[in-house]
Amino acid sequence: MKSQTEASARGDSRRGWLHKLGIGGLLAGVTGMGYAFVRALVPNVLYEAPQRFKAGTPDQFPEGATFLEDQRVFIVREQRTFHAISAACTHLGCTVKMVSLNQPKKVAIGGREVEETREFHCPCHGSKYYGDGTNFAGPAPKPLACYRVELAPEDGQLMVNLDEPVSRGFRLTV
Amino acid sequence: MAAQNKIWRQLTWTWKPASERDAGDAVVRNLLLHWFPAKVTIGSLSFRYSFWLGTISAVLFGILCITGVPLMFLYVPSVERAYQSVKDIEFVVSFGWFIRALHRLSAHLMVAVVFLHMVRVFFTGAYKNGTAANQARPVNWVIGVAMMLATFFLSFTGYLLPWDQLAYWAVTVGTNIASAAPLVGDKIRFLLLGGNQIEQNTLLRFYVLHCFFLPAFVLFLFLWHMWRVRKDGGLASVDKLSLEQKRQTLPPVKSKTYSLLGITKGRTVHVETALVNEDEHTVNSSPFLTRRILMVTLATVAVICLLALLVATPLEEAANPRVTPNPAKAPWYFLWLQELVTDTTVKLGDFTINGALIGGILVPGLLIALLAVWPWLDKSPVQAVGVWFAAQRRRQNLVFLGILVVVLALTVVGTFLRGPYWLFFWPWEAWPEMPGPF
Amino acid sequence: MNWKNRDTVTVYSFGGVVAVLVGVVFWNYAQPEWKGYQEEFRELVTRKFGPARARQAPSGIQQIWVKELNRVDRCTTCHLGGDWKGLENAPEPYRSHPKEILDKHPVAKYGCTLCHGGQGYATDTDAAHSVGNTNWGEPLLGGELGKANLISNREALIQVNCNICHRNDRETKGADYINYAKRLVDQKGCYACHTIGKRGGAVGPNLTYIGDLAPEQFDYSRMSGKPSVFGWHVAHFKDPKQAVRETVMPNFGFGSKEAQALAMLVMSWKRTNLPMAYMPGVHIPEAQRTAEEMAKDQQMLTGEGAFFVKKTCFICHDVSSFGIESATKIGPDLAMAYSDVQSRFGRTLEDFLKGPTGTMAVVLSTQIHLTEAERDEAIAKLKVAYQRKTEQDAKNKIAKK
Repeated sequence: MKSQTEASARGDSRRGWLHKLGIGGLLAGVTGMGYAFVRALVPNVLYEAPQRFKAGTPDQFPEGATFLEDQRVFIVREQRTFHAISAACTHLGCTVKMVSLNQPKKVAIGGREVEETREFHCPCHGSKYYGDGTNFAGPAPKPLACYRVELAPEDGQLMVNLDEPVSRGFRLTV
Repeated sequence: MAAQNKIWRQLTWTWKPASERDAGDAVVRNLLLHWFPAKVTIGSLSFRYSFWLGTISAVLFGILCITGVPLMFLYVPSVERAYQSVKDIEFVVSFGWFIRALHRLSAHLMVAVVFLHMVRVFFTGAYKNGTAANQARPVNWVIGVAMMLATFFLSFTGYLLPWDQLAYWAVTVGTNIASAAPLVGDKIRFLLLGGNQIEQNTLLRFYVLHCFFLPAFVLFLFLWHMWRVRKDGGLASVDKLSLEQKRQTLPPVKSKTYSLLGITKGRTVHVETALVNEDEHTVNSSPFLTRRILMVTLATVAVICLLALLVATPLEEAANPRVTPNPAKAPWYFLWLQELVTDTTVKLGDFTINGALIGGILVPGLLIALLAVWPWLDKSPVQAVGVWFAAQRRRQNLVFLGILVVVLALTVVGTFLRGPYWLFFWPWEAWPEMPGPF
Repeated sequence: MNWKNRDTVTVYSFGGVVAVLVGVVFWNYAQPEWKGYQEEFRELVTRKFGPARARQAPSGIQQIWVKELNRVDRCTTCHLGGDWKGLENAPEPYRSHPKEILDKHPVAKYGCTLCHGGQGYATDTDAAHSVGNTNWGEPLLGGELGKANLISNREALIQVNCNICHRNDRETKGADYINYAKRLVDQKGCYACHTIGKRGGAVGPNLTYIGDLAPEQFDYSRMSGKPSVFGWHVAHFKDPKQAVRETVMPNFGFGSKEAQALAMLVMSWKRTNLPMAYMPGVHIPEAQRTAEEMAKDQQMLTGEGAFFVKKTCFICHDVSSFGIESATKIGPDLAMAYSDVQSRFGRTLEDFLKGPTGTMAVVLSTQIHLTEAERDEAIAKLKVAYQRKTEQDAKNKIAKK
């Protein structure tokens, strides 16, 4: 009688163990599948334009700002210096439009008096930026980003790196 | 807290009911179980009677829906990008090959299982009404036939999507068969392809059919199918059981009707079913039916996973309208048709009837029409309901078996015994080597 | 055990089976073939250059996407040493790519498979190389395939792909088989019977795009060995009548090398839809201009009067003695400015430019900004221009006389 209950108790514990294993296996299988399905939606390769690109040789750029549509960036030439200003509005990412001023305008940026010949205006929510990218009107929270410009060693083209923001004072002298 | 409990109880149930009431409660209160009867006969749970083919079909449909969702995110239905996106799924998407294999294998298996389910129902005479009132099994049979056709079409529309050679030429052959239909054939083809050639319109049409209309159609029919099964008092084997009980002439069971709602709310709605001795022949659906469903689901998933690991998923060269591959074979479940259209072009003097019309339209059309109306032509007695190979239905079973054997034989010939130029090859004969560029 | 208990056990067993199978899938996921190559490459770099450089080696699937050519090449996932210096003798797949040819065909612009063949999408060796894999039409044109086709220079088959783009070159550096075949085409007078491109006869078939003909379109019944387009062409060049009974093509007595070179050449005659910028020897087309016109352009941009172009004076003014011609001629010729200003305004040029009046006052304050240095330069240049002008006029007078 006693051995019988022991046996059944053993059976119960064996069944309990099996129960846990079974449930565990089941859950593991379902979780694994679920993870696989979600993981499949995280891309491993991207079909996107490279962030570092060659824009052309310096002498192809006229004085002032040249807009590169594909990369949404202005290449600004001031005599022999070059810099790149992003055309993506810092508010919500629309492409700002360059507006050339009829009269050079004297403005104070960061306490310094600067003469501006162009501004950038955003068509979406009316943000406005001075020629150097400083925001002065509308909802834009900060100035337009500037990116590193360098000369490609192999062919002397301007190389813009959209992955590397630089300070607004950055200039490449050619 | 109470509200939470209520919600919780609508989604979960106990696998170990302590009482009859607990067991019934699960079915009545639960969203996921409410379409089951409270009790089910032991015979209905048997593998030997139904082989659970209907459940397996439903599970496969479920796997297809679930795996289809990530594939829809990854696949691009454009003639320029489709092939590339499938290559990406195969090579660079994490688990992409696995999901695609699950989807493809489930599709192939679903065609087979749905077909076998139909065969089972025919051989058991389960499309016939039994003794209970308000049965309409023939209607359910027609719903089933419609679902089988939808399954074929789902498989076929999925076949085109990778936009490889296999896909392109299978669709060429398939839609040309459709165009052999008298009078409307060319218009049907034009509408299916969205033009005269297999192009972007075709791909998009097949894609939308495959991802939305056909699955929605099948889902709707499936729900109807299940509802009818319940209305008809469960599987046909239940009718057989009640008939046997009547023969035993036990003290007459008090005419009792029970219903799902009746258990808890008293006798409100009458669902008249065959009368069986509940104590002897039935068990509670929860947990015995639900557990079996879980078992069949897991077994199906296991088999599909195993096959996914063992069977490579083919992807041929990108679709090339300038070159027909040799041989150009349709998917296997259409190969009996491809074989049939090969062999049925008839010449009567100067008059030629294309095999596409006879083998591609008339023969399958006739077979489907026969299938659809058969329950009304079958005049066998009620004793033949729910019985495998009932003696009263011997002749029709033999004819059905004969057609089955022919279809199967044609499929085997088409699949295994046809080589380049659709020439006949024995399995031990090597096909001539196909040329490559180098 | 009754069926009820058995059901429970079966459910758990199947649950376990699913878990194990999913485990296997995850096991495969955790160790793809390319991962092994990347680890081996890191070890190789560590041995040769130290652990710091090994950390620069890429990990994960690498992809070169050339949008213009619609090419996606993942070869660099395993062929990791392509642009590394010092791995020229490393074993494949880690060897550096010969640099000279990469300078002209940068990987970022051309990818890999455009030249080498193979399946760029693939991330495992067999599928990527596609040698003997019939589900990919472009096998890797490497040594294995060269050996199978009995070519003495095993790597030569890649020249087929060179010539798809370099078709119109008279000679392509490095493609010796193709160059040889092109010479043969000229020597043997193929154009007499065949149209190739825009010229040739119509005795034999038009060969302009013969390379596009699919393998299925050839008749292999009269040749031995593995049926292939290359094999067919080689056999046909060696003995045309053996391959096509009714042909009138003469037997030129080509040896293996000649037949192979010609087979490569004709297989390269394919349609391509290369963007203009990729075409060898083709630059962005310019309107046809005479030497005179070009010289004039040059004079405007870099000649003595370039200053007046740069400062946009030329929009309104000629500077005739410097060869600067205004399209509008709104203002007077600046070559005469030195004396003109004096006579018109009664002021010297220097004085006028410092304090301009009339139209020039507006222009010089809004559109053209001259620094002091630039103003001095302008004055100096205008003096020279005037001098030049008077000299020229004097010459012309003498000539007229």
